[in-house]
Amino acid sequence: MDYPADSALLARLLAGEEKAFRELVATYQGAMRAVAFAIVGSRNADEVVQDAWLAVVRNLKGFQGRSSLKTWLLTITANTAKTRLKHNRREVLLDDLPGPHGTVGEKRFADDGHWLREPFAWHQDTPEALLTEEELRECLEKTLTSLSELQGSVLLLRERQGLELEEICNLLQISLSNVRVLLHRARLKVFATLEHFEETGQC
Amino acid sequence: MLSCKELVANSSDLLDSQLSLRQRLAVQMHLAMCYRCRRFIKQMRLSQRVLRALPDAAIPELEELAARLAEEVRTRR
Ligand SMILES: [Zn+2]
Repeated sequence: MDYPADSALLARLLAGEEKAFRELVATYQGAMRAVAFAIVGSRNADEVVQDAWLAVVRNLKGFQGRSSLKTWLLTITANTAKTRLKHNRREVLLDDLPGPHGTVGEKRFADDGHWLREPFAWHQDTPEALLTEEELRECLEKTLTSLSELQGSVLLLRERQGLELEEICNLLQISLSNVRVLLHRARLKVFATLEHFEETGQC
Repeated sequence: MLSCKELVANSSDLLDSQLSLRQRLAVQMHLAMCYRCRRFIKQMRLSQRVLRALPDAAIPELEELAARLAEEVRTRR
């Protein structure tokens, strides 16, 4: 097997060790949920994740380690979600709702494309220092929930789960250019939220 | 010459290494001359790290789910 850390965990999973399953769920449930969320939406995501876990257990013996455990789990989740969706394939909506706090939109630039209002220099330069502000954490939470299901999932899979863009395309069956657009707009909203808070001290 | 607005439009592709060589050179040239856009990119990178640093949402049913899955594997052997 090409993934030694996975193979150690796999042996414990196959032995039915409860602690190994706690590690597995704690490590991967967030990413699985994001995949389910993107494909079936919030209403059915939890059920899809439950079904995916059962499929994982049923197929555990057949896992050959040709991919990482993470890729395997996410592929099962995506397949479970797509089965649920049947033929009601939803369209990829690229409509962009304005974020709740601040913007890096058209109005920030002059006609010649130069900054009209330049980026504000933040007071902090580490995530830890920024996140000590309780209120900022709440602002970010609001911004993240304001994203569409697909946009929020793409952001999470890329920035928190570290998936490659191609992996996201394959799992969610959307084009690379759509992934790039969704990701970029989501990042700008997160940036604008932080900037707005650093500049004004409020959401 | 790339404008600031175009640089911002290309910023995610820069972060994800999706730019062609020619685009990358244009971006680097712009950044060498424009402190505003340097600041923007620096703070974009910081935003990425902030997202990564956010705490994970708790999984309320973790114990039960793990127990159920382990049980399922044991009965299947
Ligand atoms: Zn510039």
